[in-house]
Order: sequence, then C-alpha cells, then structure tokens
Amino acid sequence: MKARENPFRTERVHAVRFRLAGTTWGELMGRLASLGHRAAIVGPDGSGKTTLLERLEPRLADAGLTAHWLHVSNERRRLPKGTLARLLARLGDRDVILFDGADLMGALAWRRLRRRSTHGAGLIVTSHRPGLLPTLLECRTTPELLADIVAELVPGQIAELRPRIPALFEKHGGDLRLALRELYDLYAER
Amino acid sequence: MSSLKLEIRDGQTAFRPGDEVVGTASWQLERAPRELEVRLFWRTEGKGTQDVHIADTVRYADAAASEQREFLLVVPRGPFSFSGSLISLIWAIEAVATHPAATARAGIVVSPTGAEIEL
Repeated sequence: MKARENPFRTERVHAVRFRLAGTTWGELMGRLASLGHRAAIVGPDGSGKTTLLERLEPRLADAGLTAHWLHVSNERRRLPKGTLARLLARLGDRDVILFDGADLMGALAWRRLRRRSTHGAGLIVTSHRPGLLPTLLECRTTPELLADIVAELVPGQIAELRPRIPALFEKHGGDLRLALRELYDLYAER
Repeated sequence: MSSLKLEIRDGQTAFRPGDEVVGTASWQLERAPRELEVRLFWRTEGKGTQDVHIADTVRYADAAASEQREFLLVVPRGPFSFSGSLISLIWAIEAVATHPAATARAGIVVSPTGAEIEL
C-alpha cells in the first residue's frame, strides 16, 4: 500500500479527535483559567500530551489568547539559541507559552523560564512527570482507547483488528503512537 | 454559506518542472478576508514527521468578499511526486483565506513523465 493511502499515516492519526476522559472541555478550560493558565499536562510517551496541548490552542484563541510554541525532545533537549530570550522579550499579557517536553529541559533553564514568564498570560507544558507546574490533566491510555482510535481510522476493519489490540497495547507499554505505527507497517505490507 | 474554489485551466493535473500552473480562484465569503493567497506546495505523508514546503505563492491584496481572480504559479525543478510504502511526496495547490477562514485544495502531480513515480 502506498504511504498516501495508508489509513495510519501521520496526517490521519494527527487528525484523530482527542478523547477527554472523565471531564469536559468546558471543565478543563475552567480549571486551566483557575490555575492562571499555568499548568502541566502529564503522562507517559504516546499518551496524548502533545495532542491535547495542540487541541488547547484554538480554545485559547477563542478566549482571546495567542499561543507561542516551544518544543524540546530527547533528540533536541535545548531550544535554538536566542529563541527563549526573544519570546520572553515580546511576551505580552495575552500571550501564552505552550511548551512541549518541558521536563526534558535542564532544571536551571526550566526555573529561569518559569520565573521570567510570569508577566505573560500563561505557561502550559507537557511533562512525563508531575511537579513542574500544577497538573491540569494526567493523560492515561487503555486498550479500549486504542481500539476506539483504530475504529475511527479504519471503521470497516475494526472487527478484524480488535482481537490484536490488547497484545498491541501491551507490547508497546501503552504508547499509542508506537502501537499506531505498528499498524501503519501492517497496512504498508498490504 | 462561504465557499472558496480552485480551478486549474483545462482541468490539468500533471505538470513538468518549469511548467506554469494557471487557473482561477473564486470565493464567496461572509465578508472581505484579511488575507487570501494561493500556494503551490508539496508535503510528505507516511509514517514519520511530515515535511511541507511552499514553492510559489500568489497573494491577492484587497480581496473583496466575493470575487474571482486568476493565478499563475511556477513549478520548480523538483522534487517529483513519488510514492512508496513508507513515504509519499504530494504536490498540491491550495487557496487559503483568513478572517474569515476558508481553504480549498487541489492535488497535482509533478514529474518529468507527468505520472507519480512509484518506489
């Protein structure tokens, strides 16, 4: 199967609706506002932290706030030189920093960012562990969630794939990103 | 109801490097958009991180709420449209209006033969 026809290609997976568990968008945004828009989305790899952060952006825009993104990862733990200083220098009272991978940043740099960003409208981060900022939401995955996402991506073939879901979930330790990539490979061979 | 449409002249969908993509963009929006442009771009699709590159752009200054304008975009020397099991490179043109937001997209193929290269 060609990559552009694969139902598990990145573009389609990225477009999957984020499923909030145990709360609503209204409650979540209310809690975020009560925390002064300074909060952390916490969870293991592949649990939807980045996706949730992305889904917050239009909702923040609806509230009149402008998002500014920062990304660090295991491959690139430092921000490009000058990025943070430039952002902080122009940060206004309607600007929110969305920082994906904040716990991967050095402790000193993180403390500096936390302290110097208080004049902005907010700082919302993703982290593998709690403690950087008050936890907004802890992302968790389940085999049922994986099955639900697979059903959205291949509605006509979920019956065929459903028996594989628990083992796939277990194999990747609940990392849905990796589980969906394995399904991509499965379809690529068809 | 808002609409934004793209039409390539003669319904052409295959282009060679150096060709011109000529057509019309037409729109009916609830009010005059703040910005409206037509882009020629490629993107990758597949298993990993997506790449996107805009090769040419036509911007319409002072676009009215309802209008039809011509565009001419020049296809660069590459990359060519290709598809394998891990990655596809896809060319397209898109019209994007902001405030109010509207988009339209049409896929094209860019290659010396006029057909997507299969890996």
